[in-house]
Amino acid sequence: MKVFRAHILTCGGTGCNASGSEAVHRAVVQELITKNLTDEVSVVETGCNGFCAAGPIMVIYPEGTFYQYVKAEDVPEIIEEHIIKGRPVKRLMYKEPTSDQPIPHMLDIPFFGKQKLVALKNRGLIDAEKIDEYIAREGYMAAAKALTQMSQDEVIEEVKKSGLRGRGGGGFPTGMKWSFARKSAGDVKYILCNADEGDPGAFMDRSILEADPHAVLEGMIIGGYSIGANEGYIYCRAEYPLAIKRLNIAIEQAREYGLLGKNILGTDYSLDIHVYQGAGAFVCGEETALMNSIEGKRGMPRPRPPFPASKGLWQKPSVLNNVETYANISQIILNGGEWYASMGTERSKGTKVFALTGAVNNVGLVEVPMGTSIGDIIFDIGGGIRNGKQYKAAQLGGPSGGCIPAEALNTPTDYEEIIKLGAIMGSGGLIVMDEDTCMVDTAKFFMEFCQEESCGKCTPCREGTKRMLEILKRICHGEGRDGDIELLEDLAGIIKDSALCGLGQTAPNPVLSTIRYFRHEYEAHIYDKKCPAAVCSKLFKSPCQHACPIEMDIPAYIALIRANRLADAFKIMKKTNPFPGVCGRVCPQFCANKCRRGQLDEPMAIAWLKRYISDNAKRPKIDQAPVTRKEKVAVIGGGPAGLTAAQDLCMRGYKVTVFEELPYAGGMMRYAIPEYRMPRDIVEQEVSDIRALGVEIKTGTRIGKDISFDALRKDYDVIVIAVGAHKSWKLDIEGEDLAGVWGAVEFLREVNLGKKVNVGSKVAIVGGGNSAIDAARTAVRLGAKDVTILYRRERKDMPAWENEIQAAEHEGVKIEYLVAPTKLIGKNGKLVGVECQRMRLGEFDRSGRRKPVSIPGSEFTLAIDTIVPAISQNTDASFIPAGSDVTIDKWGGIKTTGKAKNKTTADNVFIAGDAASGPATVVEAIAMGHKTAADVDDFIRARNNEPAYRVPPEEEIEIPFEVDEEVIETPKGKMPELKKSERRITFKEVELGYSKKTAYKEACRCLRCDAEL
Amino acid sequence: MVNLTIDNIKVSVAEGSTILEASKSAGINIPTLCAWPEIHHTPGACRVCVCEVEGQRNLVASCVFPVSEGMIVKTTTERVRRARKLNVELLLSNHPTDCNVCIRNGNCELQKVAEAVGLRTVRFEYPQNKEKKLDTSSPSIVRDSAKCIKCYRCVTVCENIQTACVLQPSYRGDKVFIGPPFDMPLIETNCTMCGQCVLACPVGALYEKDDTEAVWAALQDPTKHVVVQEAPAIRAALGEDLGMPVGSLVTGKMLTALKRLGFDKVFDTNFTADLTIMEEGSELLQRVKEGGKLPMITSCSPGWIKFCEHFYPDLVDHLSTCKSPQQMMGALIKSYYAEQAGIDPKDIVSVSIMPCTAKKYECQRDEMNDSGYQDVDIVLTTRELSRMIKQAGIDFASLPDSDYDNPLGEYTGAATIFGATGGVMEAALRTVYAIVTGTNLESLDVTPVRGLEGVKEAAVEVGPLGKVKVAVAHGLGNARKLMDKIREGTADYAFIEVMCCPGGCVSGGGQPIAPSNEKRITRAAALYKDDGAVQKFRQSHENPSVKRIYEIFLEKPLGHKSHKLLHTKYTKRGTDVPHKKVNSK
Repeated sequence: MKVFRAHILTCGGTGCNASGSEAVHRAVVQELITKNLTDEVSVVETGCNGFCAAGPIMVIYPEGTFYQYVKAEDVPEIIEEHIIKGRPVKRLMYKEPTSDQPIPHMLDIPFFGKQKLVALKNRGLIDAEKIDEYIAREGYMAAAKALTQMSQDEVIEEVKKSGLRGRGGGGFPTGMKWSFARKSAGDVKYILCNADEGDPGAFMDRSILEADPHAVLEGMIIGGYSIGANEGYIYCRAEYPLAIKRLNIAIEQAREYGLLGKNILGTDYSLDIHVYQGAGAFVCGEETALMNSIEGKRGMPRPRPPFPASKGLWQKPSVLNNVETYANISQIILNGGEWYASMGTERSKGTKVFALTGAVNNVGLVEVPMGTSIGDIIFDIGGGIRNGKQYKAAQLGGPSGGCIPAEALNTPTDYEEIIKLGAIMGSGGLIVMDEDTCMVDTAKFFMEFCQEESCGKCTPCREGTKRMLEILKRICHGEGRDGDIELLEDLAGIIKDSALCGLGQTAPNPVLSTIRYFRHEYEAHIYDKKCPAAVCSKLFKSPCQHACPIEMDIPAYIALIRANRLADAFKIMKKTNPFPGVCGRVCPQFCANKCRRGQLDEPMAIAWLKRYISDNAKRPKIDQAPVTRKEKVAVIGGGPAGLTAAQDLCMRGYKVTVFEELPYAGGMMRYAIPEYRMPRDIVEQEVSDIRALGVEIKTGTRIGKDISFDALRKDYDVIVIAVGAHKSWKLDIEGEDLAGVWGAVEFLREVNLGKKVNVGSKVAIVGGGNSAIDAARTAVRLGAKDVTILYRRERKDMPAWENEIQAAEHEGVKIEYLVAPTKLIGKNGKLVGVECQRMRLGEFDRSGRRKPVSIPGSEFTLAIDTIVPAISQNTDASFIPAGSDVTIDKWGGIKTTGKAKNKTTADNVFIAGDAASGPATVVEAIAMGHKTAADVDDFIRARNNEPAYRVPPEEEIEIPFEVDEEVIETPKGKMPELKKSERRITFKEVELGYSKKTAYKEACRCLRCDAEL
Repeated sequence: MVNLTIDNIKVSVAEGSTILEASKSAGINIPTLCAWPEIHHTPGACRVCVCEVEGQRNLVASCVFPVSEGMIVKTTTERVRRARKLNVELLLSNHPTDCNVCIRNGNCELQKVAEAVGLRTVRFEYPQNKEKKLDTSSPSIVRDSAKCIKCYRCVTVCENIQTACVLQPSYRGDKVFIGPPFDMPLIETNCTMCGQCVLACPVGALYEKDDTEAVWAALQDPTKHVVVQEAPAIRAALGEDLGMPVGSLVTGKMLTALKRLGFDKVFDTNFTADLTIMEEGSELLQRVKEGGKLPMITSCSPGWIKFCEHFYPDLVDHLSTCKSPQQMMGALIKSYYAEQAGIDPKDIVSVSIMPCTAKKYECQRDEMNDSGYQDVDIVLTTRELSRMIKQAGIDFASLPDSDYDNPLGEYTGAATIFGATGGVMEAALRTVYAIVTGTNLESLDVTPVRGLEGVKEAAVEVGPLGKVKVAVAHGLGNARKLMDKIREGTADYAFIEVMCCPGGCVSGGGQPIAPSNEKRITRAAALYKDDGAVQKFRQSHENPSVKRIYEIFLEKPLGHKSHKLLHTKYTKRGTDVPHKKVNSK
């Protein structure tokens, strides 16, 4: 045999070819000829390597160097550098995502390192078209062992011992299936292989057939021998031409070698195998339909019993197993059933192949021991969610399966555990979905698939899935009705219970499981006509507007920037948002998260454009709104929620008074957000607009102290509580009463009140949200030399905005990850240090992030002067007297009622903002302010038996439609910033705002999704 | 025997029984829609018959699920009731709601099942935009796909019983439709027009083309002389559709009803059945004596003829050249009768009442105009006649008897048994034996050719001819068995009778719905009663009117006039579709 000093392996499955691997392979062959290396270096086209996201892939042995995204033009460099000069090409290696360091060896890459290959043993290692390469990897040893040393029953016994269960989806114990067929009377029996693989997203069978067809043949020989079958069929979908080609080559070669045909390996056993091409009907994966199809009939399932083990193909005893099941057999026979059973869980043994696809970084084919958690597969092997988006769910088991939500990420891959979740193992298609996936739309997609693939034989599957699809469609179109969810559940339950075959019995699964875990999304579609993921386009004009809690007409004001009509743009903003200047600076931009431009390059800089308008537009004069109603409304709290409610009620003709405890109105906008992010005059100007309308704002007045709550209620018809959440959570550890321990809100308020706060030189902040960053950057400006954020998770888990984190780092803030404080150390009542513990990430929590778990013995102490826990806040409800009909909940907050959570237990007392919702954003507070104002008005009018309020006609603003014909990839416009040197010492605004030119250019990036063409 | 418990009732049934069968024996009628166990059609498709079996995760379809020892079945639990209701509701959700004007109004299995499961509301709107596509291309059968509930009964009948394989499921999901390949119009396919699919259909998705309006119009037209003939099988089945017991022999009431409807002359196809025996018997003897194509095969059944033309075009020479009794009668009405009565044949409207949908097609064949006009103008099925009687408000059961009109009404028992499988053979043997030997058969009842055995054989010693082997097949699947034998050269029969429909004309595609073997036997018994106990003569050659027509008009069997009016020819059609031109040249 010829010996080569190096082997270059290129991947060559169907998916690989689609990504261009064939050209790479040809280039290698050519380059080796050119460089005269054909005697030294061999090149092998293998099947799929598995790491499809990184394809085309090249692995060079003996080192096992892994190159990704290889293009034909990279080949000369690889040959020259790696093969000739011995210098591996770093730029083509896989990079560790956080450190960006290249990982040279394939098995060191997490994607591979955590896998355990049995069925995929030969993937990426051998040329599938050469039987000798298979034989060299112990190929056909198991068949030889079974046929020459084991009785039929011994083979079955070994498979039973292994605990192997059907990998096609059913999970029926393979050994038991074989023993039934063995016991069935009859001299003609069939061994059949299901290679129909119709699940969207599943490609493991194709991959095995393309990479290692002999493994399947060997499994069938062993299985056929055990039941006494002399003929076998592989039912492979015609859409897999490469698999069929390689199978036929393999069968031909096996016949030549005496491994198929008469008297295999000189024994009495004979078996011939044929490939039967299916026309690609999903239902033909159902065993009886598959058999009908091989018989030349329409692929429709037959009622069972009789089961195929007694009456299968042509009414003869038959065994049908899936490709992956067979691919495990040779290893079980060679290494013993016990070896196989040593992997996995109690009832699910061995390994399982998953086709990992969707919104995950490392799309590919993975094989793991059964019992590995879904979260481990997605986050460790799969590398987590693409583009830093949130994990929403993973669909396991294809259209017959169900979704696995974040709270179930710890579920082990175990047949029974998965079923408990309402999903099924299925063939192992694992489609990962992120926050941009609408679960109703997903259910609709799978239902549409099942509906189209239903053979149409039985009523529940044919008609029932259609009715379900119609209901799902109407929900997605905004025409959902009350009772639709229940109707879906009713249909689903009975279809599952009464359909003829597995297709119908499982078709409702995606609907049931999405209702189970995402019922709120269905409800949002039906009752609020909202698609939270901004997918169901019938429900909105543009995704950005739909995602905005106050539905700002974003495309309109962006279009007006482009047309340089800033005054109009400002009017558009003010229609829904009383605080555009504030939101232009601190809005979390739910809109940009759904911006379609983001799918091309980067989302639009919507907030910065908003700021540009509010900074530069000529403001219209504001006239006082006439008081037309006799009822008076008091608003407690002058934050965004309270002020918005006050403005709306004022515009509806009510006399409104806002009571604010602090010297200025603005709430959190003024007292929690540091001035370097939110200049005071911006807040003041927007507050003054509201005052100009006629809203009376009494600052420096604390209800419960200056005026009693009960007295206020006597004077006003309706009270709106909008006091926010101004009380920081405590760490709940020893030493929190020491001097130098500040809650973040209190700390920021103190600073924003202009009071002198001495933070000392070493400051620790606890938490990972925007408040933590605000506190840290404020501490820097107060002169602290050393500011450290202690965060118990990893950077990717931080809720704070990435640009804020980076800004803090630029300003010298250190962030310690995977650390949690355990004790505050004091000296003479004054804080001097904090004891911390290192954490590691354990199981997944309900949010889909891994839970930090403390590492015992990892304690260390930091010397500090100040610590600011910024972990969350709650409401100070102490102004409500005991025994009031406004009830306090068990956490000390105000009890809310109603669907919008904006009512208290007293009829005429409403609530809005953080006090109702818990800590949220400015824009959410504004949204709640609007809603509450409308509800207050409705309440008053209903009480008076008056007709509902009718919105007066608004000024029509014509919106130009102008888009660039050609869309060129352009990142979003850069925000000019204050010099770093100045930042550490002043509270001047850091972000300086867009210039006219930048704003225009940015506005031109808008794709105008709102346009109806 | 297998012991099981159904709804707490202990039942003992034969091994291999289904739950449905076992339930029946316990006095429990489980509603079904798709199942038709008699023809082994239990696809388990409609899921209306589901029930709960202890130990089974899902509900099971009782029509297919076999019983086992100790099985505990529940058929009335809430779970079962809800599933049955929903499945019927789902069928109705995709079924037009025009029940009141549906041809199956009152005789619809879906209506009955909806009542049986207690459905009172359908929560889904019937798709308003659903395309209504009627296939009216065939002169015999109308296909209304919108009403199809996918029970697959017609598919099984067409494929397994009649082996024509015209009706098949196509596409998937809710787009599944049952029909000819590529949704071709029926007229362009190998459809034999037998109408067995119509009998199988539980709803109004397949039905006969209704020609009653044309008959009403003719009856109202004073310039028209409307003449009617009725096939033998009508008198054994019409009563059923009009509230009388199965197997009532209603010859006299039928004739009264027809007269009351306003037909000018009421003749009887049985007359030409006797004539057929004369002609066909003579043809057989001629072939035997002169070395003609044997076995000779009967040609009374137009569905069978079309089947033979499609699937055995190489064997059409085996078919007797005799026209069917309907077409003989048609030709005689517009020639012999017109001449006798002095009526211009152009003013005659010739109507026939047939148990058969294929007859509607047969009368329109190009060659069926030997009288100089289309010999038979309008064919009505039994169901259409019963509809006319109902529309006329005639209380059929209380009608007095009438007699047929002459000269084309008189018939023998031999003619009347044409309506049952084996009847033509029996009648032919009686006459051929008499002609050849000069004596009558020892017993005129040729029992080996009676009954529902698929293929029946008999051998009769016929004097100098020796042993004459004959065979009888009914249902085209059975016919296929004999035809294949002929092709192989192993059919040593002299004469074969083939009837297109299982059981013969008593269960033709135009007869009352729904068929069963029990009804076939009972209806046939009525005809055998007519033969054995009612009619004066039992052999065709004894029919005085037949004798007379040869004397005064036809001269002799196979004579010149017979040849012109009573014999025909066939077309080798083959199975290539489309058969745009179904009529022969």
